[in-house]
Amino acid sequence: MSSRTARQLAAAATRAAAVSAGKSVRYLSRALGRGGGTTLPGRVANWLDPELLTTFAQNLTCGCALVTGTNGKTTTTRIMAEAARAAGLQVITNPEGSNLLSGIATALLVNGNAQGKLDVPPSTIGVFEVDEGLLGPAIEALCPRLVVITNLFRDQLDRYFEVDFVAGLWQRGLRRLPSGAAVVLNADDPAVCYLGDDLLATVIYFGLDDRHWGKAGLEHAADSRRCPRCDQDLLYELSFYAHLGHYACKECGWRRPDPRFAACNVTLDGAAGSKSQLRTPAGERLLELPLAGLYNAYNALAAAAGASCLGIGLDLFQAAARKTTGAFGRLEAVRIGDKQAILLLVKNPSGFTEALRLVMSASPRARLVFGLNDNEPDGRDVSWIWDVDFEQCRERTSYLAASGTRANDLALRLKYAGLLGSGGQLIAHADGKPDGAQQMPMLIEEDMARAFFTAIDQAPAGQTVYVLSSYTAMWALRRDLVRRGHLAPFWRQASAAPRAREVPGAGAGRQADEERSAVR
Amino acid sequence: MKLVLGYLYPSVMSQYGDRGNVLTLVQRCASRGIDVEIDSLEVGDRVNPDRVDLLLMGGGADSHQRLVCEDLQNVKGDAIRRAVAEGAAAFAVCAGYQLWGDVYKTANGDELPGLGVFDAHTTHRAAQTGTRLDTIAKAGSVRTVGNLIVQWGPHVLVGFENHGGRTYLHGGSSPLGTVVLGGGNNSEDGQEGCVVGNAIGTYMHGPAFPKNPLLADHLIKAALSKRYGTVDLAPLDDSEEQAAHDRALRQATARPRRWRSWLGDGVG
Repeated sequence: MSSRTARQLAAAATRAAAVSAGKSVRYLSRALGRGGGTTLPGRVANWLDPELLTTFAQNLTCGCALVTGTNGKTTTTRIMAEAARAAGLQVITNPEGSNLLSGIATALLVNGNAQGKLDVPPSTIGVFEVDEGLLGPAIEALCPRLVVITNLFRDQLDRYFEVDFVAGLWQRGLRRLPSGAAVVLNADDPAVCYLGDDLLATVIYFGLDDRHWGKAGLEHAADSRRCPRCDQDLLYELSFYAHLGHYACKECGWRRPDPRFAACNVTLDGAAGSKSQLRTPAGERLLELPLAGLYNAYNALAAAAGASCLGIGLDLFQAAARKTTGAFGRLEAVRIGDKQAILLLVKNPSGFTEALRLVMSASPRARLVFGLNDNEPDGRDVSWIWDVDFEQCRERTSYLAASGTRANDLALRLKYAGLLGSGGQLIAHADGKPDGAQQMPMLIEEDMARAFFTAIDQAPAGQTVYVLSSYTAMWALRRDLVRRGHLAPFWRQASAAPRAREVPGAGAGRQADEERSAVR
Repeated sequence: MKLVLGYLYPSVMSQYGDRGNVLTLVQRCASRGIDVEIDSLEVGDRVNPDRVDLLLMGGGADSHQRLVCEDLQNVKGDAIRRAVAEGAAAFAVCAGYQLWGDVYKTANGDELPGLGVFDAHTTHRAAQTGTRLDTIAKAGSVRTVGNLIVQWGPHVLVGFENHGGRTYLHGGSSPLGTVVLGGGNNSEDGQEGCVVGNAIGTYMHGPAFPKNPLLADHLIKAALSKRYGTVDLAPLDDSEEQAAHDRALRQATARPRRWRSWLGDGVG
């Protein structure tokens, strides 16, 4: 036996061992009821065989697409995956939160066979969301044909420090892409848009062309106000939210490019979703999205541009977008008896402010539960809540609870936002009695599930409680809701395929669907 | 009574929730019938040293530091120095603190001149260790990041720090306090911040004022003293402030927890 053959055999054996080890870990994890095993299997397999990811990616006959950005990457990934499925492709995607390389490896591993090869039909594509800090390594390992970047906001400053640092990481990653690849960028976000300069890959921009939603000037959650090319002030003709808008540099003339994929005539329908006119090089379509908020309209737009780069037709995309459902904590609806709750994951000032805007538009006297933890995935620095526009909720809430390890920080922020009167009493308005201003206590309860069920108990029948929470606090609440049978485990929902929600027993999947239709 | 707040570079130097300091000052003054007028002082805007009672400057991205440095040198420097010398109060945080010292040596070794309000110099950790920033994947190795607890006279201040620069006070300078937990000025000498007259420089984000109402009131008093002499501030109900302060203190000094769901689910 030649030494080359021996090496190949050894490599194949390692690969096979890595795959089976990873799969065993996943099986054990689920059997023990410890979670979905969405990252550890990949970590184990990657450790046994560092080349595993690259080998698997090469087995993807239709290649793969990566989605990153501060906000919206999970939703954008889901819509793109759904569109790819509608186009008849077999899709491999990583579930929510498992967006490190180990999570992607796990998603691939599940489809691996004992020979260390992907056991998939010929038309298989990978659609993966990637953590902001790992775009470079992911590009290197996976050689994607498409990279989609949604936006760049301040997030987890204790982890990524500054938006410029992240932009630098992305730029270095994108410059590794060959000329055959495509990059989809947000034209309305100057820092993201600027990444399109000097790339070998084809650059396609998306953006909002709707003056109706634009404001003059910028709000304080804006992170990127200066020209990325010459560092002078950017002039905003319009801003939609945070620093997203139509801008130009008065100094060097650098400006927002005209996006090839644009959304016009956007109408928002409270918590129910939005409608917009999607303008693309291949024609126009009405985009009906069952996900609320302007930020989700942006996500759908990013997905539309991405799907088009993957060769998916506009009609298929349109149909797929219409069927999109919320991901983990993104407008998830939960029915509890004759009341309901809507969960919104919030991670940074711009996302939190937009989520609040959405809740305020959906409910005139909202019942709110806020959750803030300072664990690593949330960010240990909680100072960002001072950049969230809680002031918009003044005199528009009828119930307030602050929860999580930093419940007291939240309570203090709400006090300075003018939501509390003297003695820590919430200045509330009794349900149905617009003039019946009354004082009631704000609940401060660090235990997220306890805060949640107290809020539910105190809500009148038929009312909705909105939960806005950071990652690990939401995770803890969701775990409790799953345990009590109100929700299906997230890894069962994660593939975004409607069939994945058909959870056996208790009819939880059907229930979840009914809850969703109840929100619409 | 009236207090004029000079808010320096609100658009580029307010990255870490420093806006919370402004909200806190405004509300604590309003509760006592003190009118606050805010002058937003962006790049290019001049400071009126006879008008401002209190100057606030927060932290920002490294990339904005050069821009702000030039503006401080060419447009605002003299007026700020004069205002502080004539008794105006000031609170300069992080990048603000660094640029109000004598000199700031950046990550790539360039020296940015400071205002010289604080007799101190700052050197970026990357410049100290010869690390090139574009070679690292995570900036954590050259930054001091975490909860910051400081003994300030008889009081304990709680906040959060996140800085690459290390600041060294020179002979005659007094620190704001001593570090109980965290890195403070330079992670070496146990000192945090600097005080000159009514001006305070510090690495304390959080933001500092909401959870440390004594510090906020200290600066309000100092600011009012310029116009009105010694002023007694009516006490406020600070129960939420105190609760948040105490909880943050417990959280910071508790054994560090590593959040994970068993077998690594959720967040990879």
